[in-house]
Amino acid sequence: MPATDYSPAMEEVKSSWADEVELEGGALPPPTEVVENGLKIVTEYKFNDDDKKVKIIRTYKIEKRIVSKSIALRKTWKKFGESAGDKFGPNPATTIVGEDVYMQFISSKEEDMKPEDEGIEKLKGLGDKNVVKCRTCGNDHWTTKCPWKDTVLADDKKPPMAAGAAGGSEPSKPGGSKYVPPSLRDGGAKRSDGANMGKRDDNYCAIRIANLSGSTTDIDLEELVKPFGPIHKLYLAKDKQTGLCKGFAYIHFKFKADAANAITLLNGYGYDHLILQVDWSKPVNNQ
Amino acid sequence: MKPLILNGHERTITQIKYNREGDLLFSASKDNKPNVWYSLNGERLGTFNGHQGAVWCIDVDWTTTKFMSGGGDNSCKIWDCATGKETGNIVTQSPVRSCLFSYSANMAVYTTDKAMKQPCEIFIIDVRTIDDSFSKQEPILRIPISGSRVSSILWDNLDETLISGHENGEIIQWDLKTGKKLNSITEHSQLINDMQWNKDCTMFITASKDHTAKLFDAQKLMLLKTYKTERPVNSAAISPIAEHVVLGGGQEAMEVTTTSTRAGKFDSRFFHLVFEEEFGRVKGHFGPINSVAFHPDGKSYASGGEDGYVRVHNLDSSYFDYNFDY
Repeated sequence: MPATDYSPAMEEVKSSWADEVELEGGALPPPTEVVENGLKIVTEYKFNDDDKKVKIIRTYKIEKRIVSKSIALRKTWKKFGESAGDKFGPNPATTIVGEDVYMQFISSKEEDMKPEDEGIEKLKGLGDKNVVKCRTCGNDHWTTKCPWKDTVLADDKKPPMAAGAAGGSEPSKPGGSKYVPPSLRDGGAKRSDGANMGKRDDNYCAIRIANLSGSTTDIDLEELVKPFGPIHKLYLAKDKQTGLCKGFAYIHFKFKADAANAITLLNGYGYDHLILQVDWSKPVNNQ
Repeated sequence: MKPLILNGHERTITQIKYNREGDLLFSASKDNKPNVWYSLNGERLGTFNGHQGAVWCIDVDWTTTKFMSGGGDNSCKIWDCATGKETGNIVTQSPVRSCLFSYSANMAVYTTDKAMKQPCEIFIIDVRTIDDSFSKQEPILRIPISGSRVSSILWDNLDETLISGHENGEIIQWDLKTGKKLNSITEHSQLINDMQWNKDCTMFITASKDHTAKLFDAQKLMLLKTYKTERPVNSAAISPIAEHVVLGGGQEAMEVTTTSTRAGKFDSRFFHLVFEEEFGRVKGHFGPINSVAFHPDGKSYASGGEDGYVRVHNLDSSYFDYNFDY
């Protein structure tokens, strides 16, 4: 059995001056009710708190639903009690359509906090037992108390440890209160770092691709260079404001051979109406 | 979602309840007139006029023909749903705190408060025929409660047992044939405000003042899950379609005026039934929520608050699309 429902969708409209001119007689015009294509439009006039005439238009959507007999029967019940005088449909005095609210979904942020605390608590509970790790043998005791202290194992590991310790203690010397950039801190370490850097450069071979078109994206670039081999890092220079490509990109390949291959094939390659220039990426400030 | 705000009460809402099909929503408040609404469009069908004091509890039978309410005016009344006429009235010795039709609606239970030198008592009454003799009939069973008073009650096991929640947090299962205690459990430390079944009546959720809601297995009275919050929980409901529970609560009503709305945290909170983790909140009330109820189809829920409003929320797609991450 069908039952008729009025879903309220109310809107309040202030009268326009044209309406007011019409009503200059003073009395309020009678309320009207129009039902047309599935909508019931009720127009009412009343005085608001400032003694101004207000025209209220309420639009109700009439919905038909197929429901079970018992529900349909209940829909026909006469209103009683305080609602006895109400018309069919919701009475705006008792039923208000509220403002839009949203379910606020909670990511497990709060829950994340708790386990963290618990973790700390756990660690505290454990005491030093598992926190301490011997630098010599890796077991859970202090390095100085290591049973392998004066053995071969310790000796093998000692040199790098000692070097590390020396490097670490250097900047904390009384004389070194001035800020020293990391690259200039204690010469020995720096040189070794430099050697490492060189190695890294050899390992990840960077090439520079220039004369890219402005519409190139990271994905385009990836597709372009992927076939040559595994890529360590990919950097496409983009304009900060527009996000468009600035025309060049750096690609760090894992293997030098791939990089060389890419240079030979891509240099002079026609890509998106431009001809690419590809070469080894040169350090900005050569020492 | 745009909630429907039902503004038919002058005082705080005490309980709201859907009928079995969910087309009607009943609401009771501390004013003396329980209301009934069409849940779909928020149209008020009527009010049940006759109580002289706060209405603490309401229930409707499963055919939606009889409506029952109990209140602070020492009475428990039966009404005709269709006309809103009072058909039966039982005068009690102290305020009626909770009332409930049995599953078959052949019987009903109501409990009275320990007040005016009267003990707290559970009464089982026959409600098959409501006529003039109804108010004079003797209850089928009376169970005097010597300990902490009953604050909420449920029928269980196809009307063979009762489960009562008490002021001290105790939950007791009663055998109706003998009127004896079958089982009891104390998992809450404070007043149990509300107890509600899941859809198939195998588990129930309790809402307690001790800031938790707990899920119990009905048969063994075994604690299954605990939902922790940082404020008293006044009401809790289990979704009939999803593994969700909704909790309503907030700080104590007497403290509301001394703190800001923000501190009150009057939103309904959605927890995952199994993982006990909160995943969503819905704001709206500006007082603690006293009662929440899920529509039997699980697609909407309603909450009634200390602010006197009932808000009917039609859950939107963002809720149904939400997948709990685990």
